[in-house]
Amino acid sequence: MNPFDIALFAAAIRLSVPLLLAALGELVSERAGVINIGLEGMMLAGAYAAFLAAWATGSVGLGLAAGIVVGVLLAVVMAFVSVTLRGDQIVVGVALNLLAAGVTMFLYRLQFQGTQPTTVRMETYPVPLLSDIPVVGPVVFNQLPLVYLAYVIGPVVAYLLYRTQLGLRIRSAGEKPEVLDATGCDVVRVQWGAVLTAGAFAGLGGAFLSVGQVGLFAEHMTAGRGFLALAAVVFGQWRPYGVIAACAVFGFTDALQLRLQSMGEVPREVWIALAVVGVLIAGFGALRARRSGSPLRWVLLGAVLCIVVGVLGAVLVPGFALPSQFWLSLPYVLSLVALASASRRVRAPAMIGLPLPARN
Amino acid sequence: MSRQALRGAAVSVLAVVVALAASLVVIALTGVPLDKAAAAMWDGVFGSPAQFGATLTKFVPLVLAAVGWVIAIRAGRLNVGLEGQILAGGTASAAVGLYLTGLPTVIHLPLAVLAGAVGGAALGAVAAWLWARRGVNDFIATLLLTFIVTQLVSWLANGPMEEPTGTLGQSAPVADTARWPILIPRTTLRADILLVIVLVLAVAYMLRRTVVGYRLRLTGANPAAAQATGTRTQLIGVGALCASAAIAGVAGSSLVVASPAGNLAPGFSANYGFDGIVVALLARNSPLGCIPAALLLAALRQGGGLLEARLGISNGLVTATQAVVILLVTGTAWYAERRRPRRRTAGSSEVPAPVAEGARS
Repeated sequence: MNPFDIALFAAAIRLSVPLLLAALGELVSERAGVINIGLEGMMLAGAYAAFLAAWATGSVGLGLAAGIVVGVLLAVVMAFVSVTLRGDQIVVGVALNLLAAGVTMFLYRLQFQGTQPTTVRMETYPVPLLSDIPVVGPVVFNQLPLVYLAYVIGPVVAYLLYRTQLGLRIRSAGEKPEVLDATGCDVVRVQWGAVLTAGAFAGLGGAFLSVGQVGLFAEHMTAGRGFLALAAVVFGQWRPYGVIAACAVFGFTDALQLRLQSMGEVPREVWIALAVVGVLIAGFGALRARRSGSPLRWVLLGAVLCIVVGVLGAVLVPGFALPSQFWLSLPYVLSLVALASASRRVRAPAMIGLPLPARN
Repeated sequence: MSRQALRGAAVSVLAVVVALAASLVVIALTGVPLDKAAAAMWDGVFGSPAQFGATLTKFVPLVLAAVGWVIAIRAGRLNVGLEGQILAGGTASAAVGLYLTGLPTVIHLPLAVLAGAVGGAALGAVAAWLWARRGVNDFIATLLLTFIVTQLVSWLANGPMEEPTGTLGQSAPVADTARWPILIPRTTLRADILLVIVLVLAVAYMLRRTVVGYRLRLTGANPAAAQATGTRTQLIGVGALCASAAIAGVAGSSLVVASPAGNLAPGFSANYGFDGIVVALLARNSPLGCIPAALLLAALRQGGGLLEARLGISNGLVTATQAVVILLVTGTAWYAERRRPRRRTAGSSEVPAPVAEGARS
């Protein structure tokens, strides 16, 4: 049985969207020098607020708006403590995660007393004409409206960061705030803006989970997606298109993992696909290594591993079942390997995790 | 105590008072009488020897995780992956307890605890290698490793290490010879608390009175000065990360071989790694200060449990209270640390100079 069907790819795109929204916001924030570990909390709070608003009003739009508002509210706390008061970013992020987990659990249990009500949810919107294209149509153009929006925001963020003055300011805030300060620009304001953007996007990503996809809320329903979005920024090496690709990959592994769980064994096609991926990695790696001088041995090692495992798997153990935990940890492994194998030129923005220098 | 230490302690106490007051207001708003809530909290913590024993049982992993954080942060390293190191240590400890049978307690138990430390340190070493050799941020490396280990432990507990019937999704209890003896009868409190106190004192002594401790603090406070005076800052950073992870590993070991069930279950560390950061913050990164701070948070956890069981006030409130404490303490750090050279300012602590040069050229 071939798992690679239209439903799988459509699911992969849908599952990548909450990650993508949160990761794009986080990208802006990290480029401005503020790492936001509290992304998970912002998503969770956004999901809850969106659910609550949609449940109370019966409107999806109001739900999404509520998600954004609550994401921004948490971001205000983040920005105030870490940017204005210069507290430790990591620690504030941990606090926000605790806060969101605690408050949503407390309120949800208080209000619904163990019941799990459902509410309205977003309807899919097939794009006219385009959704009639065979294969591509149902995969790409028969999705929830937020899916299109997320994939439009991606290039917008790329344009913003690299082609506008604001983008230059954001990037300077994350690399050399002293210089930005010397040009007469208010660094604190730039960082505030970046953090609030991250909050809004994370809130929207959370809202997508509750109101967009399922129309209900569950405690801890983000289930680590905020951290996954953090990993996507790392895997995407702090570049917009890298982040988009990373989210697509993570969404795909998530969809594949869900599918394989229901199938019980790993079909031969998966092994073959793995071998093909290995060949592709080797090809791209060689191409990039020639251009940028990144160490090729890591890429080759990964590619050879993929090919060997894929071929062996296809020939020897077609019925072998990989545990779901393997797939769930794969994005984090990929991110760490990508970071460890990247050339020295790929690195986090210099100011990540650090407070702005004191002005005396 | 110096003025700064006093001021720091005052801020911490105030933060706790404010956060508790806020949660009291929330409880009152839900319509539960405050005296009943307070009584439930009190009974939860001190109500019976069993309850108090349970509080102290929660104190053990909290204080260890906190001290682990302190060692790393004093060297300028952020070990956000304590949770993963707890899981790694606990798993290693469980493996020794399960598979190395037939040993007397005097050998088996120390081996199990040691395995915990080694397991934690091994994970810390991976993060340290990524940081020192590959220029990966310490907090990104430790955090990502935590999620990988979480899945790994979940797989082990549901697969290779699962108990023989294979239905419970957790391991069989470890051999009796690998378990800590019960300290107070009819409570969950085991003798590991004694080891923990010794460990905390040892860390405090190490940081304050030894050359290594001095160099470690110097590295955290001013890497340039440390380097200029002949400290190998990168080595200190690696050592601090590994030591921090080893202590978290011991915490994980306690959560397995000193727990009532004495087995390995997925997610056996119920957020202790992250709560340990809260404790260390409250203690203003002083190892000895971690003891009262951990007692307080353990009491909150334990009392909050009874609050939920008796009055239906969700545990989420305790979590949120902790978050408010962190925010208040972090937000006022500038006040408590006034007139002291800033520990983490731009360009001084991110990566030791040699790596930084390489990374930025």
